[in-house]
Amino acid sequence: MFFVLVATLFPIGISPEPEVLGEISAGVLWISALLASLLAMDNLFRADFEDGSLELLMLSPHPLYFLVLAKNVAHWLVSGLPVVLVSPLIAYMLNFPEGAYSTLVLTLLLGTPVLSLLGSIGVALTVGLGSRGLILAVITLPMSVPVLIAGTLTVSQTLEGASLSGYLAIMGAMLVAAFTLAPLASAAALRISVN
Amino acid sequence: MQFSNFQEFIEMGGYAFNVWSVYGMFLIFLTVNLYGPLRKNRLIIRDLKRRYALNAQAPATSSDFDSQSSPGSETIEEERA
Amino acid sequence: MDWTWFHKWGSPKWFYELSGKWLPWLVGAMVTCLLIGVIWALLFVPQDYQQGLTNRIFYVHVPVASISLAFFPLMAIAGTIFLVWRMKLADVVVKVAAPLGAWFTALALASGSIWGVDTWGTWWVWDGRLTSLLLQFFLLLGVVSLRTALEDSEGAARACALLSIVGGINVVVIKYSVDWWNTLHQPSSNFTLATDQANGPEIWVPLIFMIVAVYLFFAISLILSTRNEILQREKRAQWVIDLVAKS
Repeated sequence: MFFVLVATLFPIGISPEPEVLGEISAGVLWISALLASLLAMDNLFRADFEDGSLELLMLSPHPLYFLVLAKNVAHWLVSGLPVVLVSPLIAYMLNFPEGAYSTLVLTLLLGTPVLSLLGSIGVALTVGLGSRGLILAVITLPMSVPVLIAGTLTVSQTLEGASLSGYLAIMGAMLVAAFTLAPLASAAALRISVN
Repeated sequence: MQFSNFQEFIEMGGYAFNVWSVYGMFLIFLTVNLYGPLRKNRLIIRDLKRRYALNAQAPATSSDFDSQSSPGSETIEEERA
Repeated sequence: MDWTWFHKWGSPKWFYELSGKWLPWLVGAMVTCLLIGVIWALLFVPQDYQQGLTNRIFYVHVPVASISLAFFPLMAIAGTIFLVWRMKLADVVVKVAAPLGAWFTALALASGSIWGVDTWGTWWVWDGRLTSLLLQFFLLLGVVSLRTALEDSEGAARACALLSIVGGINVVVIKYSVDWWNTLHQPSSNFTLATDQANGPEIWVPLIFMIVAVYLFFAISLILSTRNEILQREKRAQWVIDLVAKS
């Protein structure tokens, strides 16, 4: 929902000209996805932290790594997946260049989980804080830049007819790295913030 | 020597603003980051001295000894003293 | 292997005394290098045939920028040492390095963009180096604000150590991805340092003086802030009480 709203603001703010929109549409979609992920991030551990169930989860015999990973998957299913699903529609409204739709969906599919995983580190670090919106953004957004770059470059390279496999491989590598490392960092961060 | 007189040195071949603003910022940067810690060091030592003195006078009020107040927030203590 | 040398670094008192002995030498060496470097760079370096006298900015920008790149590795190493060995001194380094790093990065960005006015014709170019430095600046501000927001000092120390490690890994990824992005978007930016350095000793010898001076300055500033932090944290230790009484 937030994703759609942000994406709507760009044509209003910049220009409704189809050519201009087509040029920037990939970037608009990616930035909207990033902001939507950041907004939803806040709820990742918040409620569990406040009612104490986070501490119970940490006391459970299962490794915290998998619990964090499960939380992340759940978060992605409610925030990332809808973005991926609705993105072709918004892309069409933004006059997204034909022939790159499948690439766009594919990169979002690979990229949004990375955003969730990276964001969870920041959330885990700041979970005990009262006002943390800005800190969360300052920590998370610079770290998300590589994903943003990879996503938009893949789209623009597709349009120029370049071979996709290399770019998708880089995004896949990012996903695998984030999948294995980020929950470790988040779990460690949770241990620090909760105690 | 690249300059024949002082005037030329100041003008920097027409790039006076760029060159001197960078060197000026560099100078400010050096002073702030050297003078700042040195000044803070003096403040901390002065602050600790007063705390130790207070503590020696009245060991019962040692609770404020634990407080994390920084040397910047001294006004209240000064009034008390 | 004998590890006493390593564990000695865990003692703030030992560091305080040792750094007190080193400081005058470091300051002396820095002032010497700085004076030689600045005077040589401003007065004697020949003009660049393309940039004219703006090449004097080079002597401030390059040393500062090269150090700003060292901050995240430094903080990540110190953070690891703190999390693994619980060494108090390492946390102090993480704490004081973050704002200092923000200063260095800001100066590198400012001098870089002023230099860019003549080299590129604009104040700001989305050049690979400038962009990744800007992102690093934001991350450093993130570490600083996390430290301020978490008041509990033990938790804040561990959280910042962790963030430094994560940030340290991420800065590398950011660096490579920004370079990659940049080569695809701006093939026209053909400006490299290699051409400047190929010019001969009268160009790069003053640069070496400046680099040494700025590195020494970095060390001095870091040591000074570390000593302050140690004093505040160890205020209940007998050696601090003795030291304050003497001063």
